[in-house]
Amino acid sequence: MRVIIMGCGRVGSAVAGRVAASDHEVTVLDTDPYSFRRLPSGFPGQSLIGDGTRHRHLEEAGIRDAHAFLALTQGDNRNILASQIAKHIYRIPTVVTRVYDPYRAEIFGRLGLVTFSPTNVGADMAWAALLGDAGVGQAARG
Amino acid sequence: MYIIVVGGGRVGRGLALELQGQPDHEVVLIERGAERAAELRTELGEMVVRGDGTEVALLDGVGASRCDLLIALTDNDAHNLVACQVATHHFHVPRTIARVDDPENERLFRLLGVGETISAARAVMAQIEATLPEHTLVPLLPLHGSGLQLVELHVQPGSPASGGAIRDLALPQPSLISLVIGPGGEPRIPGGDTVLQADDEVIAVTPEDAEPQLRALFATPAGEPEEEA
Repeated sequence: MRVIIMGCGRVGSAVAGRVAASDHEVTVLDTDPYSFRRLPSGFPGQSLIGDGTRHRHLEEAGIRDAHAFLALTQGDNRNILASQIAKHIYRIPTVVTRVYDPYRAEIFGRLGLVTFSPTNVGADMAWAALLGDAGVGQAARG
Repeated sequence: MYIIVVGGGRVGRGLALELQGQPDHEVVLIERGAERAAELRTELGEMVVRGDGTEVALLDGVGASRCDLLIALTDNDAHNLVACQVATHHFHVPRTIARVDDPENERLFRLLGVGETISAARAVMAQIEATLPEHTLVPLLPLHGSGLQLVELHVQPGSPASGGAIRDLALPQPSLISLVIGPGGEPRIPGGDTVLQADDEVIAVTPEDAEPQLRALFATPAGEPEEEA
């Protein structure tokens, strides 16, 4: 299976490492070559300087025979644009989009993207941890 | 009409200025940059709102749900697309227009239901083509949703179109020749019997994907140069 990851930040590089470790082909796209330093040592996948919102760069990354596309840059709108190109122009079966803004994550989730919001995930975890505190937890549960 | 303009660059500012003078329109101009927004506010007043026009909270704050038309004019295709999609799908704005910088994105924008797209690259190319001495086809206006566009065609000497009646011309279907303008500038409404002459200008509605066929009909066939330069 071929997986394309746009954005080689902390999350992108970590996911790339996991995909490669499970014996799938992975290509990481980032506009900044310096970001590739985050990839695990001995990373067997491909790293490519490029912009995932550009058709030509996606094609160089092998989007035409990819099974999954993950948009994990810092920019919500860039991720949404690239994901919709992958889904609607190249018909990639699995498209995952990081969207910090919970509202946009929900709207584009309804429009058929698999979105997740680190803001919601973080808030949920912080809240769950807080509920573990005897005083706060009891008060919250009434 | 209540119009929201996203992006206060030169185009957004110009449009806001234009619309401001029209009493029938209420306009809000959204600009993300703090400095630029302050500058625009001094010039245009309260219609300028600083913020991110792709954000639900900001659009909610300017009353996007009663907006009739949202026009996204930033220099970033991703922002323009998302602004239009959020307007359509969250606020049920009936009509959206987006500027598209990368011509590759035009198809996607239309696929995703952006009402109209404005491409600076395409406009510039059409204008340059129109000024070339032997232009054959200039796209004038896409008729969105129909797959048709309005084009200007120049009947080249020796072309299959010159000297024949319109009804005998194998035009790509559906096409309609709406107006013929002779070399002297005299316009005429054509019928099936109208004979096109070299150097007539033709305004027609044609399928968007029929440009190669039209060029073949209206251009001088290759290898038969009209005259020596």
